[in-house]
Amino acid sequence: MNTLKVQLQIFRYKQGQSPHYDSFVVDVPDTAHVIDAIDAAWAIHDPTLTFRRACHHSSCGSCAIRINGVEKLPCITRITDVWDGHRPLRLDPLRNFPIVSDLVVDVTSFFQRMSAADMAMTCEAEAFLPFSVDTFAVADLDPKPVDLPENFSRFSRFEQCIECGICMSACPTMAADEKFLGPAGLAAIHQARKKTDDPVKVAYLLGLADGEHGVWRCHSAFECTEACPQAVDPAGKIMALRRELIVSRFTKMLGKRNV
Amino acid sequence: MTVIERGEVAFGTTGRNHCLLHSGGRYCVTDQESAIECIEENMILRKIMPDLLELNDGLFVAFTEADLAFREQFLEGCAACHIPAREISNEHARAIEPFLNPNVLAAVQVPDGVFEPFRFCLAFLATALQNGATVRTYTEVTDLVCAGKNVTGVRMRDYRTGRNESLSADLVVNAAGPWAGEIAGKAGVAVPEIPTAGVMVALDCRLNNMVLNRLNKPSDGDIIVPQRATSVIGTTSWKVEDPDLITIPPEHVDRMIAQGEQLIPIVKKVPMRAKMAVARPLIARAGIDAREVSRTFECFDHERDGMNGFVTIAGGKTTTARAMAEKVSDIVCRKLNISAECRTRNTSLASYRLFFQQPGSYRASFPGNPEDRFSPEHCNR
Repeated sequence: MNTLKVQLQIFRYKQGQSPHYDSFVVDVPDTAHVIDAIDAAWAIHDPTLTFRRACHHSSCGSCAIRINGVEKLPCITRITDVWDGHRPLRLDPLRNFPIVSDLVVDVTSFFQRMSAADMAMTCEAEAFLPFSVDTFAVADLDPKPVDLPENFSRFSRFEQCIECGICMSACPTMAADEKFLGPAGLAAIHQARKKTDDPVKVAYLLGLADGEHGVWRCHSAFECTEACPQAVDPAGKIMALRRELIVSRFTKMLGKRNV
Repeated sequence: MTVIERGEVAFGTTGRNHCLLHSGGRYCVTDQESAIECIEENMILRKIMPDLLELNDGLFVAFTEADLAFREQFLEGCAACHIPAREISNEHARAIEPFLNPNVLAAVQVPDGVFEPFRFCLAFLATALQNGATVRTYTEVTDLVCAGKNVTGVRMRDYRTGRNESLSADLVVNAAGPWAGEIAGKAGVAVPEIPTAGVMVALDCRLNNMVLNRLNKPSDGDIIVPQRATSVIGTTSWKVEDPDLITIPPEHVDRMIAQGEQLIPIVKKVPMRAKMAVARPLIARAGIDAREVSRTFECFDHERDGMNGFVTIAGGKTTTARAMAEKVSDIVCRKLNISAECRTRNTSLASYRLFFQQPGSYRASFPGNPEDRFSPEHCNR
């Protein structure tokens, strides 16, 4: 293990003061992630630096920032993957959120959107295990579901979305329509829709998606899907909602048999 | 009531825990007091935060004769601590967990579960906000205000504004985890705590449905906790001086992979997503090694040290966080002559998403995107 001397250029802002960038030089192992460098800048150089963090393994979604202008989770971004070894590593807060202080943004509007969708955090397992064993070229293990014991008829899982806000920061539509439900909000509506057949709830969810600030405002830039660290594919979910809404409209116009 | 947290919610130890909703099985032989606390809280949390738990149970699995020899003690320990436990066949264990080491000799199912620490904390705090509490994040307690032998408040710094403030209090509760000793020191009293770090390794995909534990006494790398699309191997144990400055020893990471392989051989072929370390707030016991120290918690009323109006809650685990709060609340009520029964064991928690939407949680004052408004050239570097 070698030590890297990394120069960070971090956006700073305290309420009532002028924003600026501060530079920090920190020593970290070459296997370190960006969050380790931020931790070092805070713990060794400046305890007034504010940033969000909790789990350090892309489960909580709280640490999302922009690294050299690109939305990332610093807890799973290796320094060697984003730092060229010469220029300072530039760290900014997410776009499209009000700034609280330094790298901390106010995520109220994000959670308002997620609350509107009311997507439960847990779901039934969609697959036995979420990948193919071929990925690791292990021939003697079979990941397919087998006949499970009676009391193991289902497995519970947390939803893939970790509510990090990265998609809302990356979305170009958010800058044009601040009430846009946004990629995560619409993806949550899609997930909530999948979990219910209750006609009242379905009408509410599709009504939200079909509204003035819903799926039709999306410019199909797919920046959200590109940036999402959890492979939620919000843009794909938005397209799926559009398909359902179109089918629903044609069904109303033409009757079910003709669609 | 005001909660003061120097960073984001779950910025400290709780945020980086293993995400394990303990059944108590891990401690049912070596630390039964903690095991009983765990199973009691496990059952309460299933009632009050059902939407925030992955509930797939856990397996304690034997692979060696030594593991097998531990089985009877383990089952007796579970029975003594009232932990539901049942042996399942090796074939069933492999059916549920296809990546499990095929050399499985015995498997015992227990009600382990998985939570997500950030949302775990948010749900409690959202409920506290609904009940009139104030939560001050990004605000650090810099000193305690003392008048003679009484703690009468705190001095604090709000890092969002840079301003120093004071807050008077009828009573101050020190719940600073591994930093509790530092806070207690500001009142001139000591807390017998050992900040003890542990390394965890998160893999780039999920390899198990249930929590997988080694059927033996607690040791390094004896558990793989799955969550969403990851599996997290843990953990090691060593004392640290400063909980803010923990360097992850590379050999600990290697050890986690090597130990994890014994439970799930494919572990070594999976890319690593992240590695993390954090200090546990263990309560010191004379002559006992950190691995052997009880994971139970303790409340210290510093009146016995000659300081009134100051209480420390230390030790414990995230699984037992509610019980810790109940215990300290009872002591606070007694000291303030308030007659009230703690209701949290029967109170369903508010949606964690409400934490960010209520008056009292933090609000921004600076709208917009800094890059649009302040290019680097205009900034004072």
